[in-house]
Parts: sequence; structure tokens; C-alpha cells
Amino acid sequence: MEPSTDPMVRARELSKRYGRTQAVSELGFAVESGQICGLLGPNGAGKTSTMRMLVGLSAPDTGSAEILGSPVALGAGVLRRVGVLIDGPAFVPHLSGLGNLRLLWSATRRAWPPPALADALDLAGLGPAIDRKVKGYSMGMKQRLMLAQALMRAPDVLILDEPANGLDPAEVRALREHLAALARHGAAVLVSSHQLAEVQQLATHIVVMNHGRLVTAGPLAGLLDDTSTYRVQVDDGERAATVLRRTAGAATITVRGGEVTVTAPGVPARELVHSLVTAGVGVTAVHQASRSLEEVFLTMTRGDDDHAAR
Amino acid sequence: MLRVELTTQLLRVRSLIALACLAAVPVAAGFATASHAGHRNGTQGGLFGASTYSALNHTMASLAFIAPLLLPIAVALPATAIASADRDWGTLRYLYVAPVTRSRLLAGKLAAVAVTTLAATACVLVAGLLSGLALFGWHRFHVIGAPTLTTGAALGRVLAAGGYTFLCMLSIAAIAFALGVLLPRGTEALGAAIAFVVVAGILNGQSALHAVTVVLPVHYWQNWTHLFDPAGAAHLGAGTAAQIATIVLATGLAVLVLSRRDPAA
Repeated sequence: MEPSTDPMVRARELSKRYGRTQAVSELGFAVESGQICGLLGPNGAGKTSTMRMLVGLSAPDTGSAEILGSPVALGAGVLRRVGVLIDGPAFVPHLSGLGNLRLLWSATRRAWPPPALADALDLAGLGPAIDRKVKGYSMGMKQRLMLAQALMRAPDVLILDEPANGLDPAEVRALREHLAALARHGAAVLVSSHQLAEVQQLATHIVVMNHGRLVTAGPLAGLLDDTSTYRVQVDDGERAATVLRRTAGAATITVRGGEVTVTAPGVPARELVHSLVTAGVGVTAVHQASRSLEEVFLTMTRGDDDHAAR
Repeated sequence: MLRVELTTQLLRVRSLIALACLAAVPVAAGFATASHAGHRNGTQGGLFGASTYSALNHTMASLAFIAPLLLPIAVALPATAIASADRDWGTLRYLYVAPVTRSRLLAGKLAAVAVTTLAATACVLVAGLLSGLALFGWHRFHVIGAPTLTTGAALGRVLAAGGYTFLCMLSIAAIAFALGVLLPRGTEALGAAIAFVVVAGILNGQSALHAVTVVLPVHYWQNWTHLFDPAGAAHLGAGTAAQIATIVLATGLAVLVLSRRDPAA
């Protein structure tokens, strides 16, 4: 891989409109070498539109997409260094699995076989079925063959739209390990997925979108280790919530039985406890909350929906 | 890209079956008329009446029989598929990110249309020649009501007929290709292309519609048969111009649509 100071993938103020629908609006983010970036968002958030622009399948109305420092357009040469899975698997049905891989590879006028074919086929695990016609494949087999197509070229950048669709748990795990290994060797990986638990295990960074706009972007660990959220065990949850709502700095409060989850940026835990105890609420324990990606995602996108509704 | 298109279209079972059907017609016609070998084929005149005199006679009669309908359909089948199959299958996006540029993709497709059209036309000629050699032998080209042609003259006219028919088939292939690009699915494009050939053929038979039919490429497809009239004269200039104009228009339309279409739309 050539040394470069540019991010491996960069979206600069990308906007795209389809008719009356603003699919993506002024979206900007970057994925560096060694990062696995999860591109998250509810259905219709603009994830696939963003990925299409990043691989040149769709021209942005404004802004630009760059890969390895080069601007991306339809059929751009830099895409030779990119493995892509987008809008699901697609093959010539009357050709074998291997025939399809050979076809897509030879279309770029490169000598067969591709550099990482053996590893890619090993991950796909299709065995003798690789020589059978694709029209007889199951959805999972097609997905694995498409992943092999993306990986066989030993890409420096991977852009994968819902790569775990149709895979069983063991295959998902194998894919996760393969992508992690590629990232360790310097590849940049951008993955869109609705399987948040899977993304939490895989990604080093996330980009969250909603309504075509960027909600947040950054290291996953920083988003999950939110130091401003606490879980407080109390003897009266409802009363504790009433007290905390009057406490300066408490932003969100949720009650589940005797446990109150409170987000209060910049407020030390001892001040929250002091407020509760002073008001006569018994506090038995306080823990800094470690949130799941699902919780973080739902909080972010729900808030954005509320905002949008207003 | 030419190899990609030929691998996916020309070498698929349905294309090979179509070619086999084209080849089967001259063979079947040869067997049906073999009893007249060396003599006039019944009471028929023109190319069909002379088809039993020699291998080249049989070849040209076969071409005259197949060229108005069967050959255009066999040519339109791969042309529509070449234009639309990768969109139908979804493989177009994976070709673009492979990456293949739009101009290279288009050039490959157009070249593939030309090759498949040539293959279909050649299939008829070769099958006619081989079955004619086996059943009627290599003799001088017989023209009813005129002296036989020398081998050189006959070969020249056969090549001219084959080349002209190839050009005519390219025009319907270009129309089929443009329909394949314009219409949402390949099957719809094939249906439209076949409907065009049939309707244009019917219109061409209506003398009252002469002013309309002269602008249709189909109107000139059989002009080459006059190469083998007793007078031996054929005016292929207008037909050639009509086919070239059709090819340019249809290909230009297809290129325009492809170059402006958002591949992700």
C-alpha cells in the first residue's frame, strides 16, 4: 500500500436528491487506514445512497467523494483497489460461481487469478458448489460469493452494504475476523448494517445518519463510554426521577422500577446522589452507564426524529 | 468487455439453440427438396425454383427464406439481451465498480452485437452451403431463364448478398439494442423488436403505404435477391443508406440514453 496522508475514504459535503426526496444532505466523514467504520442509520437514512456516491455509481449533486485521495466517478481507476458489495448480490445466473468471479475480474483486463482468490474462496466456503450455476444458489451462498468477489482483489478499501445479510452466525463471525485482519494490515473498511450488535463487535468507528444528514461520527468506544450517564439504584424510582428533573444539568431521565438512568453532562455523580439523599430518596448504588450501540443509536436517531417532527 | 459480453450472451444455451434453429432450416429445406437435385424445384421460380441446382443456389434460397423473419428474430434475441441483461441481473453495478468505464462497456456491447449478428448470418450461409454441398453438389449457379453464372461471378454475388444481409440484420440488431436500453426489461425489448419486424413486414406488403414503408429498413431487406435475377442487376444503394441511417440513429439513441442514465437509478 502506498503511504499517504489522505484518508482512505472521504465524503466531502455530499448531497444527493432523487426527485423531491433529499437522500443525502451535506454529509462529511472520513475513514482512515486500519479503521472499520460502521455506517448506521434507520431505513431511508441515506446509507446506500452515500455508498453509491462513494463508489461512483451515483454522481453527487454537490460535494465530492474521494478514495485513496482520488476523486471517484463512474468506472474510476481507483476502484481497482476497492472491494464493493452494494445493493445485494448480483450474478450471471447461467454461469458458475467461479465463472462469475472470473468474468468480473477479467472485465478489468487483469490476468486471472486475483491476488487473494484463495483466501476469499476459503471465507466463502462454497466448496464444490463454486463450480455449479449460480441460479441454484441460496441467498446465503450468493452473499458469500459476492463477498468473495469483493475480497479476492486484496483491496485497500472495502465498502460493504449489509455484508452479513443471509449469513449464519458462524459465517458472520468468520467475516468479522477476516475484516478485522484486513484492517490490521492497513485496509479501511466501511460497513453499513442494521445488525447493531454485530457492528459493535466489529467496528472501531461509526458514522450515524438520519434523514440524509450526519448525526455523529467518531470512535465507537468514545460513544459507548459516555461518562455523563449513570445508573442509580434507589428505593423509590418515581420520586428519584422527580428530584433529578429539578437538578441542574440533568438532560434525560428514564425510570425502570428502582433504577433510574440519568444523563447529566458535566455533573459529578456525587452531586446527583447528594440531591437525592437531601430529598429523602434512599440510594443504594451508582454505576457509570456502559451503553450498548443499540441504545446509543436509538437515542440519537429518535432524538433526531423528534427534532425533525418539530 | 467484448469477451465478457460474448461469454454471457453468445455462449448461453438459448443463443446456441437459436443458432441451431437457424442452421436447421437450410438442412431441413435441403432434405425436403433433395428429390429434385439437379432439376428445377417443382414449379417455383426465382431463387426457390433454382435452389436444387447447386450448393450456392441452395444457400441463397435458404437466405431468402430466413432473412425476412427468422433471422431478424434470432439477431434481436442476443441484441436485446446484450443491452439489458446486466441491468436485469443487477451485474451492471458490479461491472462499473470492477471498474469498467461507461465508454468501454458501451463499446464492448456494440462490438458484441456486431459479432452475434455476424454469427447468426454466417450460420445460415454456412449451413446452407454445407447442406447444399452434401445434397446437391458444387455446380455452377443456375439462374432460371438466364445463362448459368461463372463460379467467380456467383461467389461475388453471394458475398455481396451475404454482406448486404449482414448490414440489414445489423439495423434490426441496432433497433433491438436501443429498445433493450430504453425499455425496463429485456423480454419487453425483445417483444417490441419482434413486433416491429412483423408489423413492418405487413406494412411493407401494402402498396398503398409505399410512402410510409420506404423509410422502414425492412423495406429494403430483400433487395439483394435481384442480384440473381435474369437481368442480374440490383440497386442496393438506397437499401444500404437506409440500413446505415437506421444503425446510426438507433445506436446514437442508445448511446445517448446510456450516457445520461444514472446507473444507480
